[in-house]
Amino acid sequence: MNKEIKRIIIILTVLCMTFISLIVYISYFQIFKASAIKNNSYNKRLWINEQTILRGSILDRNGNVLAYSEKEGDSYKRNYNYGSLYSHIVGYSYREYGKSGLELYYNNSLLNISDSTPINEIKNIVIPNTTGNNLVLTIDHNIQSRARSLIDGKKGSIVVMNPTTGEIYAMVSYPDFNISNLNENWKEISEDMESPLINRAIQGLYAPGSVFKVITAMAALENSSYETQYNCIGSEKIEGYVFKDYEGKAHGPIDLKGALVKSCNTYFINKSLEIGKDTIGKISERFFFNSRIPFDLPVKSSQFPYKEMTTDVEVAAASIGQGKVLVTPLNMALIASGIANEGEVVKPILVKEIVTKDGKVLKQSDIEILSQGINPLGANTIKDMMVEVVKSGTGVNAKIKNVTVAGKTGTAENSSGKNHAWFIGFAPADNPKVAVSIVLEEDGSTGGKAAAPLARDIMLYTIENIKD
Amino acid sequence: MMFKGEIRKQSPKNLLLLFQILALLLLLAYEQMHADKMIFIMAMGLILIIYLSNYLLIKISSGDNYIFLIVTMLITIGIIVIYRIDEKLGIKQLTWISLGIFLFFLVYFMVKRLKKIDDWLYLYLVLAYLLFIITFAFGDRKFGAINWVSFRGFAFQPGEITKIVLIFLLASYYSNTEKWRHIKYSSYYIMGVVYSFIALLFLQKDLGTALVFYIIFASIQFIYEEDRKLILYNIGLFLGSGVLGYVLFDHVKIRFQAWLNPWIYIERQGYQITQSLFAIAEGGFFGKGLGMGHPDFVPVVYTDFIFSAICEEMGIFTGIGIVMLFMIFVYRGFKIAISQENRFYRILAIGISTLFGIQSFIILGGVLKMIPLTGLTLPFISYGGSSILSSFIALSILQICSEDMTSREDTDE
Repeated sequence: MNKEIKRIIIILTVLCMTFISLIVYISYFQIFKASAIKNNSYNKRLWINEQTILRGSILDRNGNVLAYSEKEGDSYKRNYNYGSLYSHIVGYSYREYGKSGLELYYNNSLLNISDSTPINEIKNIVIPNTTGNNLVLTIDHNIQSRARSLIDGKKGSIVVMNPTTGEIYAMVSYPDFNISNLNENWKEISEDMESPLINRAIQGLYAPGSVFKVITAMAALENSSYETQYNCIGSEKIEGYVFKDYEGKAHGPIDLKGALVKSCNTYFINKSLEIGKDTIGKISERFFFNSRIPFDLPVKSSQFPYKEMTTDVEVAAASIGQGKVLVTPLNMALIASGIANEGEVVKPILVKEIVTKDGKVLKQSDIEILSQGINPLGANTIKDMMVEVVKSGTGVNAKIKNVTVAGKTGTAENSSGKNHAWFIGFAPADNPKVAVSIVLEEDGSTGGKAAAPLARDIMLYTIENIKD
Repeated sequence: MMFKGEIRKQSPKNLLLLFQILALLLLLAYEQMHADKMIFIMAMGLILIIYLSNYLLIKISSGDNYIFLIVTMLITIGIIVIYRIDEKLGIKQLTWISLGIFLFFLVYFMVKRLKKIDDWLYLYLVLAYLLFIITFAFGDRKFGAINWVSFRGFAFQPGEITKIVLIFLLASYYSNTEKWRHIKYSSYYIMGVVYSFIALLFLQKDLGTALVFYIIFASIQFIYEEDRKLILYNIGLFLGSGVLGYVLFDHVKIRFQAWLNPWIYIERQGYQITQSLFAIAEGGFFGKGLGMGHPDFVPVVYTDFIFSAICEEMGIFTGIGIVMLFMIFVYRGFKIAISQENRFYRILAIGISTLFGIQSFIILGGVLKMIPLTGLTLPFISYGGSSILSSFIALSILQICSEDMTSREDTDE
């Protein structure tokens, strides 16, 4: 073959390669990128359906209508019955601002749009789809309202759930915004420094402070070889860095239970190195740190980056929920539920059923065990400790007459200078019906003073009012 | 044996007839509400013209009879989509295609008869500059580029013809290197001429065509230039001027930014490309079906963005089919070049195949956001008189190149 022919073949090969790269790229685009691009709110095709399909309603567990659509002229108008109460759960669906919350993530169900398969497409041509499906949530409107009224004026989040089924009874994030008149307030809402658009319950990452000690305590149980006794003098020095107990108070001779009940920092700091970061990391990952919790709305991953912790100070700080540990309120509710549920972590559920206009149930969410966080024996040991926390420890403000409450308080230092007040817990301890996770962001007070009374109120209210 | 060969030659043509009739039925099914007898007659007319052309071509041309078949498939897909988007444009396109096929045969008979056309380098040079002068003197601005010239109500793009002239110019030079050897640095002069074309296209803001010119030149230069270091200069100069263009011209910068992240500029410079991506994404693998999509949401959908509309309604399987048709076309074109013994015609075949190949790649890659978007038509599919006519002229020349031109020379001289 002469030089000329060789070069011609090189050019031909290059051209063919460009065509093959086009085919590869278009296939890659269609398989991996297309679905996200299709759902971009600038895609006008999403809104074409809104004009011809009656968007389904969203209801709470007792049938209260939270959102519905009605005909107005040629198209449909979306109405929200409760203003800002469901701003983060239901979200909004506005042409101008796009979609959020369940309105976004359940858009296809609400509009009854099936996945694009040839058969579905033919079906749709033959019998055009005109009505969407309804969503029935696990939310209880009364509990949600109660939780909202408790946190009103503060900043933070309350998650109330059933620890054995995973049903979310209430999920409040405050500040919130009014979804029924976004047009009037959009500029204010979107520019607000307090970020009302963020769903703190699932998108807020907070330093957990002492509520994280339940994880460390579980790790301690797992690692039985260490010395459980300790003499607390109110401070502990690690690599020259001094950790102090709350207000420098010395607890004296103390064991694991006493340390959790009194929320003794120095105990956990001293023992953290013995327990080991890998054991704490392993337990935390069973409770969904460093991974995504499967949920009906996207949840940020809580972080316990133990593989990146290189110094003892970092490990010590992490053992009491400070430093590099960050957690979402929903994740803390899941931890409380796991302990209540003999160590079994249940999948949190927000959408209970998808129902057609005629009442046919299309999809039902079943109870799903995600992981065994700790063995049942260990779970019960921690539960007893948490009962003692409320009985005689830092959580006495969560005490309910005739009901045994288990809980753990937390007061987390953070960069703002004002502490986050935390409380996680469940009740009744022997037959758990409700688990809560409360965070009051930059509250300045302690978890025992600020968060525990709210937990008491919402747990009591839930036990008295919930219908299965 | 003769008879058997005849059948083999005829059968792809009949398969194609079947394809076209099915395609027409599809269009009728979609348009059943207001099916117009006139349109039906016109479409049948087109099918007849194409069938007869393919038949005729096998009889009169001893060369390749696949390239015209491939082109037939492309124009069929194109016209269905254009007609579906806008009936009036569809009928106009039908007229352009008929005219294009007429021109194909006209050019075929005329150019084949011309002798010594490899010797007319200066003519091609003058013609190319003349076309640029016409564009600048009478050009209108359309879609941000000055490349349209209106004459008595007809608008055409001289740039479409200039592409072919460029190929003739390069073929004429590189097939007669002996003749030009007496001029020192003659290759440098040719490169200078091509760069002057590219600079003029830059000024017209016709970046896509500039890129097509460059790639055609670079390919032919790579194969035939004996002074190999000139190729390195060419690549260096291209990269340099690319960077310079980015710094100096806002329209280059905007296109580049819209490519890197169109989503943040979605209201403005990223609008076109994101609308195109929405369309392709919506189509999935099998498409929404003819008439079920929304090509009306995509700007300039019947020319530059026709591929997005095809993908939305017919799916990326059809899209991939189109890419493959272009690939086979280019392959046939290069096969023609390799079997052609006459160097002038060989270079013409390389140039024309590269032209179709690279032009379709640039616009397909552009609407997919694989490469920055530059406005170009998709040959034989996009709507437009200049594009269709010039493509048929180029096809006609490729047809000539596929014939044995050495034997003709021998008998003539």
